[in-house]
Amino acid sequence: MSDPPQETPEDLPEGASRRLEELEQGLFTSDLSVNEFLLIKEVGFHPVGFVMGSSIYHTGIQTRKWGQSQELTKLTEAMYNARELAMTRMEEEAAELGADGVVGVRLDVNYYEWGKDAAEFIAVGTAVKAESGASHRNALGKPFTSDLSGQDFWTLMQTGHIPQGLVMGTCVYHIAHRGLGQTLGSTGQNVELPNFTQALYEARELAMTRMQDEANRLGASGIVGVRLEEKSHQWGSHTIEFLSLGTAVVKTGDPVTLPKPTTIISLDN
Amino acid sequence: MSGTVDPAGARAAAGPDPGAGPDPAVEMRAAAAALARPAPTDTARTTSDLSIDEELVLHSIGWEPVQLVTGVSIHSVPMGVWNWGQGEIAYASAAHAHSFALATERLHQQCTHAGGHGVVGVHVEWEILRHQVAVSLVGTAVRPVGATSLGADPVFASDLSGRDFALLHAAGWAPLGLAAGSSFVYAPRRSMTAAMQQSGQNVELTNFTEAMYAARETAMERMQRAAMTLHGTGVVEVKVTEGPMTFAHHAVGFTAYGTVVRLRDGGHRDLGATAVLPLDDPAPAFDAASLRGA
Repeated sequence: MSDPPQETPEDLPEGASRRLEELEQGLFTSDLSVNEFLLIKEVGFHPVGFVMGSSIYHTGIQTRKWGQSQELTKLTEAMYNARELAMTRMEEEAAELGADGVVGVRLDVNYYEWGKDAAEFIAVGTAVKAESGASHRNALGKPFTSDLSGQDFWTLMQTGHIPQGLVMGTCVYHIAHRGLGQTLGSTGQNVELPNFTQALYEARELAMTRMQDEANRLGASGIVGVRLEEKSHQWGSHTIEFLSLGTAVVKTGDPVTLPKPTTIISLDN
Repeated sequence: MSGTVDPAGARAAAGPDPGAGPDPAVEMRAAAAALARPAPTDTARTTSDLSIDEELVLHSIGWEPVQLVTGVSIHSVPMGVWNWGQGEIAYASAAHAHSFALATERLHQQCTHAGGHGVVGVHVEWEILRHQVAVSLVGTAVRPVGATSLGADPVFASDLSGRDFALLHAAGWAPLGLAAGSSFVYAPRRSMTAAMQQSGQNVELTNFTEAMYAARETAMERMQRAAMTLHGTGVVEVKVTEGPMTFAHHAVGFTAYGTVVRLRDGGHRDLGATAVLPLDDPAPAFDAASLRGA
């Protein structure tokens, strides 16, 4: 997997810089719910703006062997680079606003009818800044990113952790079809299908390892809220993308202030 | 009220037998006359689409619902606006902005008329069709309990629920109004040679990216500008929608709207959340998908 592409702030479209300039005048925008907004205020952060990044990416062609399980490196690279481009642009927008981080990040993939073999990758989130003025940027000096909700962010901060970055790993894998002999051999029997098992297992492991590598680069002490998604996108049933996503966190010296939760039992249904 | 202004409903009713259907012109005049009548007295019944819980929460901060109010505006779009071209479809963006502004104005009018100080829980709906852009807003007018005169501040509209309104109020914030922005663009085209060169390659389609990115930013910038004219501190719960028009796939529409809020003079107050751990068992649900390991 190649390094994350290096982008300069001039990379952002003109409309974006105009919008961000307006935001610097003191107005904030955010897609946080009122609950999330108030909780983020409560841990000493203030939303500074709704930020996003996008990339429309054309995916190359890779031939798959019918009977062979293999990683489709070209597709993996495309899925990774395109997401990375969108995320980098979102980070740039946040950096432009002087933010410490971005919370509630969502990654989406859009397909348009007019763009064959092309997909739009979008990253959106709300940039936040510490009210105390202390910097909470990550080890690389960039705003942290996180897909945690406002509620999760509140809880995380109360336990003395701070997010470092949204980390991801992806692997597009082609799973071999079974030959006629194999199919006949297992008809009517209780039997594990080792080639399927192995292929899915390996693909998942690859995606998770890549995610962990990203977290290591950020010097994180752990990854929370990991999700493992499987999607076939538009490639047919035997080609699957395994995407693992999570928020890398690091333990700070701050004391744990989360009080012991009160147990409740609601009397309604 | 909403039924009379809703063109689709009126037209559908008038469809089979135009003679028997209501005459829109007459109904519009009746609606205008109703608006001009003096405000209802305190004995008037209240109508509201808030849930009981929401009403209770509203009462807890000293507010009460007054009346269900609506604002609707339909703007016609001439032929040929959606034909394939380049750049922004300025007419459609303007039509949307105009409809939204008019619908908001009507909502405010009805609210003032009902004696409300603002509208909460506004359902924002719009429909972009080939020949018309329709915006409809429905919400519940609210006022401080027992208020008989209009508030000192201008009337506000907000798509936040009664619950969210109460929470914001408790934290020292007040909604100011709805801000919306939209941008409609033609999808860019790729030359045949470029498409040939790019086939089989992993490559970012920069002109596509730029066009879509810029359109999204424009929609959000228009929303921001609307928020700034209201002198807001921020916009919360921004909803961004996007997608191709159902009747013209080469046209892509981006819209953004949210509630503009302002920090009141007292400053922000922390609500002091406590962590709770419900001991209720999760409702047992059988998920057939889990059997497949999906």
